[in-house]
Amino acid sequence: MKQLASLTRRDFLACAMAAMGTAALAGCGSASSSTGTSSTSTSASTISASQDTYTLVKDGQLTIASDLANPPLDYTDTSTNEPAGFEVELMQAIGEKLGLTSVYLSPVKFDTIIPTIKQGGTADVGVSNFTITDERKQEIDFTDPYLDSNQGLVTAKTATKTTQDDLNSADVKVAVQAGTTGESWVEENLPNATLVSLDDPVVALTGVQSGLYDAAVADLPVVQYLVNNSFTDCQVSIEIPTGEQYGIVVSKDNPALTSAINDALAQLDEDGTLKDLKTKWFGSDL
Amino acid sequence: MSHMHENAMTRGESHHTRCVPALALALSVALVLVATLALLPVSALAMTTNKATARPNEDGGSGVIGAMDTRLTWEGTVGDDEEVSSITLSLPEGATFDHASTRITVLDGLNRTSIDGTATSSGNSVDVQFSEGIPAGSLVRLEITNMQFPADGGDYVVSGGYTTADGQSHVLDDSAAITVIANTPLQAAVSWLDAQPWVAAWNSNPFLGMFFKPQLLLTSFASLFPGWLVCLGIVLACYPFAIVLGLAFAMLKTSRHKVLRAIAICYINLLRGTPLFLQIYIMFFGLPMVGINIDNNVLGVIVMAVNSSAYLAEIFRAGIQSIPQGQYEAAASLGMNGFQTMTSIILPQTVRRVIPTVTSDFITSYKDTSLLSSVGVMELMMFSKNLTTTTGNITPYMAAAIYYLIVTLPLIKVVGIIENNIARSERGGGPRPKRRAVAGASQQASKAEEELTASAEVSHVEAAKPAADVFAALSAPFVSHPTVDLGGVADGE
Repeated sequence: MKQLASLTRRDFLACAMAAMGTAALAGCGSASSSTGTSSTSTSASTISASQDTYTLVKDGQLTIASDLANPPLDYTDTSTNEPAGFEVELMQAIGEKLGLTSVYLSPVKFDTIIPTIKQGGTADVGVSNFTITDERKQEIDFTDPYLDSNQGLVTAKTATKTTQDDLNSADVKVAVQAGTTGESWVEENLPNATLVSLDDPVVALTGVQSGLYDAAVADLPVVQYLVNNSFTDCQVSIEIPTGEQYGIVVSKDNPALTSAINDALAQLDEDGTLKDLKTKWFGSDL
Repeated sequence: MSHMHENAMTRGESHHTRCVPALALALSVALVLVATLALLPVSALAMTTNKATARPNEDGGSGVIGAMDTRLTWEGTVGDDEEVSSITLSLPEGATFDHASTRITVLDGLNRTSIDGTATSSGNSVDVQFSEGIPAGSLVRLEITNMQFPADGGDYVVSGGYTTADGQSHVLDDSAAITVIANTPLQAAVSWLDAQPWVAAWNSNPFLGMFFKPQLLLTSFASLFPGWLVCLGIVLACYPFAIVLGLAFAMLKTSRHKVLRAIAICYINLLRGTPLFLQIYIMFFGLPMVGINIDNNVLGVIVMAVNSSAYLAEIFRAGIQSIPQGQYEAAASLGMNGFQTMTSIILPQTVRRVIPTVTSDFITSYKDTSLLSSVGVMELMMFSKNLTTTTGNITPYMAAAIYYLIVTLPLIKVVGIIENNIARSERGGGPRPKRRAVAGASQQASKAEEELTASAEVSHVEAAKPAADVFAALSAPFVSHPTVDLGGVADGE
C-alpha cells in the first residue's frame, strides 16, 4: 500500500509539475529556442556604417519575436514548418540590407512581445503586425511604418447580428486578440458587449465559426485572408476604417537599430522590393 | 404585334447572357452609390462629427475615470464641397489636453491619405492644423493620447469647430456624450502610492518594477478577485461529480466483466493519455459545432469533472486494490455479498488511504482551471492576462500566483499532515477502523482474523453503528495521536 500510495503521489507530482511548466510557458512566453531560421546571404549593399553602434542579442543575426498567427502577414507554413508571410519576407529583405541573418524565434504570445523587447536579451525586434500607437510608443520605439491597415469585424455568414448597433448589447460576445488595436476598438465602440481576449485571431475566428462568439475583430488583411481561405462559413461584416500603420518594435535602448532598419525600409521602398512584396501577398500595392 | 413581342423576347433572351455582367456592374455601382450616400450624413454640406470615444482607463474595469490619463478618439467626415485645414476640439472646464499627443489619420474609404499636421493643446482644447487641406468626403480621426477628463464624473460632449481652406470658420456638431466616472477609492490608493518616494525607488529596480509593482499589485488584487471566485467555483462544482464518476469507473475497472472493464479502460486511458488543454479545445469548439450550446462556465465544470474523474478512477482503483485480500475473504466467510463487502469493509478503508492523493488531484485540478482561459472562461489567468496586456507588466501574473497559493499551500500542508498520520497508523501507531469493536478481540490474532472478528461483532449492531464507523474511518487521518492512543487498541507492539 505504501508503495502504491507513493507511486500515485509521484504520478501527481509529475502531473502538477507539468501543469506548472505549462503555466510558466504561458506566463512569460519568452522561452526561446530558435527554430525556423531563415538565412540570408550577406549582400553587398549593407548598411555597415551604423552596424557598430547598435547592439544585437546574437552577433550577426537579427533575432525576431512574433506570434506567427496572422496569415498572410506572419504564420508558420504547415508544409515546411518554417515562418512564412509578408512580414517574414520583409524581415529577410531588411536583414539582407543590414548584412544580418534574420532569425525567427519560436512563436510567442502577442501580448508578451512588447514586454519581451522592452526587457531585452531575448529578441532584437518584434514583428507581428504591430500598429503604431502613442501608448505603445511610451514603452518601446517603432520603426517607420511598412504597411497600412484597417480593422475587420467577422461574423458567421448565418449571423443575424452584423451591425455595430446590433452587436453592442450585453448578450453578445466579441472575441479579439489580447493586446491588439482590435481589442481597444471593441472596448470603445462596443462597450456593452462582452469582450473575450484570446491568444490569436485564428482562435477567435474558430470560435466565431463554431458559434462560441458572435463576432471577432482583428486586422482586416488577416481576417480577410482567414475568411477566404480557412473560415469559409464566416464573413467580414464590417470593414472598420482605422487607417492604422504597422511598425517594427525595437527597444528604446537600441535607437541605432531603429534608424538602421528605417534606412533599410527606405531603400526597400525605393528599389521597389516593398511594392513587390505587397503585390505578392495582397494582390495589390495597398 | 404579338409576333413582334415574341421576337423581342427571343432577342432579349439571346442577349441575356451578355447582359448579366453589365447589369451586375450597373447594379453594384448603384449599390455602392447608395451605400456611400447612406454613410454620408444627411446634410453632407458641412463637416460632421461621427463619434467621440474614450479609452477605458479603470484598472481591470471598463470605466473612464476623470483626472487620469486616457485616450480620446474623435472621428468626423469632411462635407461634400469643402476642404478642411484645421480642427479645434474642446471639452468642458476641468479636462486637460496638456502633455497630450495627437495622432492624425485621414482616410478615403479604407485607404490612408498621407496628411500630417501639428496639434497645439492648451488647457481643455486642442487645435490641429493640417499640413494640407483635407479633401471632401474624407474621414478624419484624431487620437489624443494622455489627455484627462474632469475629475468629477459626468457625461461630457466634445464640441469644437473647424476652418475650411477658404478661411471660413464653422462650428462642429457636439459628439455623443462620453460617460466619465469619478475617482474610485482604489484609484485614490494607487495615486497615493504613486506619490511615495519608496515606491518610486522600488519600481526603479527593473526586476521589482516588472514583477512586483506595488500600485499594480493593489489593482490586480482587486480586479482579479472575480476571476479567483470563478476558479474556485469551477473546481468546487466539478469535484463532487468527478468523485462520483471516478468511483463509478474505478468499480467498472475492477469489475469481473470484460466489457465493463474495457469501457472503463478506454475512458480512463483516453482522458489520461491526452492533454487537458486538448480536451478543453475539443469540448469548447466541438460542441457548438454540433449544435450544443452550453454556458462557458458550466462547460468548464463539465470538462474539468470529466478529466479529473479519470485520474480519480485510477486513484480509487489503486486504493481498493491495496486493501489486503484477506479482508474480502473475511467478509465472504461472514456471508456478505459483494455490495456489502464493498460498502462496509473495503470502501471505508479505501477512502482513508486515498485522501492524500485525492487532495493532490484537487490541487492539480484547481490549478488546471487556468487552462480554461484559452477558450474565454473569465477566470484568474484570463483577468491577469488582460491586465498584463494593458499594462505591459508581469505584476498581475504575480498577483494571480498569490491567489493560487492562498488555496494550494494550506491544502499541501493538509496532505502532509494526513500522510504522516496514515504512515504512522500503517506502522501500527495510529488508529484502526472499528477500533472500538476490536477492543475485546483476541490480541494474538493476525490482522485479517482480527478484522474478521471485529466485523462479526459489528454485524450484530450494524444498524446502529455504520454512520459512526464511516465517520471514524474518514476522520481517522485527521485525528492526532494522543487521542488515538487513549482510546486505541491494546495491540501491544
